[in-house]
Amino acid sequence: MDRWATVWAFVHVLSWATYMGGALVMEFVWRPAQQHLPPSQTAVACQWMGRRYRWVALAALLGAGSSGAARLVAAGQISLSPPVFGDQLALSNGYGRTILATTVLWAVMLGTVGLLSLVAHPALHVRMRSDMTDEERGAARSAVMKAIRRMDIVLRVDLVLAAVAALLGASLSFGGIL
Amino acid sequence: MTSKFVNVLAAYLHVIGVATYLGGSLIMEFVVGPAQKAIPPAQAQVMGKKTADRFLWFAWGALALILASGILRLYSTNRESFLFGDSLFDTDFGRTLLTMVILWLVLVINGSIITFVLRPRLTGKTTAGASAAQAQAHQQGQMQAVKWLTWLTRTDLGIAFVVALLGSSLQFGGIA
Repeated sequence: MDRWATVWAFVHVLSWATYMGGALVMEFVWRPAQQHLPPSQTAVACQWMGRRYRWVALAALLGAGSSGAARLVAAGQISLSPPVFGDQLALSNGYGRTILATTVLWAVMLGTVGLLSLVAHPALHVRMRSDMTDEERGAARSAVMKAIRRMDIVLRVDLVLAAVAALLGASLSFGGIL
Repeated sequence: MTSKFVNVLAAYLHVIGVATYLGGSLIMEFVVGPAQKAIPPAQAQVMGKKTADRFLWFAWGALALILASGILRLYSTNRESFLFGDSLFDTDFGRTLLTMVILWLVLVINGSIITFVLRPRLTGKTTAGASAAQAQAHQQGQMQAVKWLTWLTRTDLGIAFVVALLGSSLQFGGIA
């Protein structure tokens, strides 16, 4: 048994499981639970969770990417000296195309985590000042609700991307599906 | 010969099951759970109940999916003999598989304790005519249930980690 190969495979499984499990929980566990909470408390909980979730998601994605690359290096499909890519990674075969598609999806998911962290999540932080008029307060509240909805959409897209990436990844042991 | 479609489907369902159970538990434990402290206790209780009730269904579904897809994977890769023959005890692959099945059973037992013993104790209410002593005993029972629930959930997470490690080793022949 190749000990390092097992370690990389474990890190890969753990990373994908964390990323996908996180997206699943956010969509199918947390989102329906929001209906039972007042919007103001939903926003506070979303803020708190978002702060932690983005780091977990980022770490999971980086773990999946680095362990995936390490697995390809261990399998002799990536090398630092030319030719950099092995025969199996050629786009003329299904394995290579599936790896390429998975890598592209991984990069897109990295982008959505960035979007969550830099755009969707900061939009939840709206401070209600004491000198605000009722109209301003109403506008601020609807801005937060809009931000929550936008966050939901990004998380849903992320879940679909993760599900497709997992399908592509699962097919790699059988030569890929593209 | 099993078609590639069945092989890929079995592997995919297995990944979905593991992601739901392991990844979901991790996020529930380290992201959703701690967020309850950020909101008032009454709302935190509602949030905890709603999220835990819902996640329990997913956890049970994931455990069932992991078992079913795991068996399908063995059949689709022509390794079903490991389930019944001596190779379950005589080979690294078989022993690793056996350990995973035993740990899966532990997860099922722990899940049953959480679902049928601890959760009902947490959601149970005292009757209107209950005395102060009864109410206090009820509250103490709930505190105990929370302690056990936390301990069991973390134990399950640790077990799920070990199962994932064992599962990862199977493609290289197993480690047990």
